[in-house]
Amino acid sequence: MPRRGCMGCSLPLIIGLLVLFIISFISGPIGSRLTGDLGFPSFFSVSQPTPQLPPETVFQLGWFNITNSIIAGWLTIVVLGAIFYAATRRVKLIPSKLQNVMEAILGWLMTFCKEVAGEENGRKFFPVVTTIFLFVIANAWLGLLPGFASITITNPYGEHVHLLRAANTDINMPLAMALTSFIVVGYFGSKSVGTKRFLGQYFNVGRLFRGVGQIFRGNLRAGLGMVFTGVIDTFVGILELLSVFIRIMSFTFRLFGNMTAGEILLLMVIFLVAWVAALPFYGLELLVGFVQALIFAGLTLVFLTVAATPHEAEAA
Amino acid sequence: MDPQAMKMLAVGLAVGLGMLGPGLGIGLIGYSAMQALGRNPEARGPIMTNMILSIAFAEAIGIYVLIVAIILAMVV
Repeated sequence: MPRRGCMGCSLPLIIGLLVLFIISFISGPIGSRLTGDLGFPSFFSVSQPTPQLPPETVFQLGWFNITNSIIAGWLTIVVLGAIFYAATRRVKLIPSKLQNVMEAILGWLMTFCKEVAGEENGRKFFPVVTTIFLFVIANAWLGLLPGFASITITNPYGEHVHLLRAANTDINMPLAMALTSFIVVGYFGSKSVGTKRFLGQYFNVGRLFRGVGQIFRGNLRAGLGMVFTGVIDTFVGILELLSVFIRIMSFTFRLFGNMTAGEILLLMVIFLVAWVAALPFYGLELLVGFVQALIFAGLTLVFLTVAATPHEAEAA
Repeated sequence: MDPQAMKMLAVGLAVGLGMLGPGLGIGLIGYSAMQALGRNPEARGPIMTNMILSIAFAEAIGIYVLIVAIILAMVV
């Protein structure tokens, strides 16, 4: 057993990592500008990456292009299903290790839902929020595994493309999840306060019509006041409707931007210094994946809570 | 002016000017959260939850700028 040197790691290991870092710095593009070509073996340098925004087609099913992000999405589904199946196969009162870990994760998410949405609404919204959270975080973290940029395949067009690519970097996936979030918020809002009242938040013409009715009844001053506030209410309702659609775009671009920027960052860092320097950025990517999943699920939960809580009736 | 040079200038300006807003915004959110936490340490849960939520909104604006810069740099 090596003697516990500095920071609890053995000293030869730290020196080995430092040497690797320096060699890959010198043989990378920065070092070769500084010192000229020193003839290092070719596995110390990486070719210039060409990040592509739209995902590449791997094969075709009839008229539909199956892209590499779709295949990665299927992989995520299989992995998540397998983990949870293995955890719940023989459910015991005193849980086994895997079941314990899964119960801890789900328990934490349930506490989160109940904190934000209250006791009874928290249980209602828990499945949707948990599914979104687990899917986003599994997509993000599986995209950091080594095989995701190394396995290449030749597609029917004859190009060499990657077989797998993190599913969140294809803009269709965050868009699909944002649309699902929108539909779910509409469904739960309609179910809780009634469809008419839920839609009435956005087409808030009640006070306007009541004001016009007051004018026709001869009550001029009160009628004009109600017409004035009714016009303001109508415009506020239209702005709220607009904000619902802006919310879809915002969800999409937030998740897509964070994941794509992280992928491009990792590619660039590995191109510049090939071996050891990407480790802190992998840590950053793990954190960003977790935070983005929490934000997507948490914002969906907040909008669900707002939609399911009836506003207090305003004094006429 | 050379189109390539203009493109590089545009990308640099977009990210540089565009990140001023979100940076200041997140700083202000953190400042107010720290003040609130100092006045009322018992309300740590709701304060932190709302702070993370607000930071996510402010950060999204910075991500929009990054998308524009990436599209300018690689697609145009």
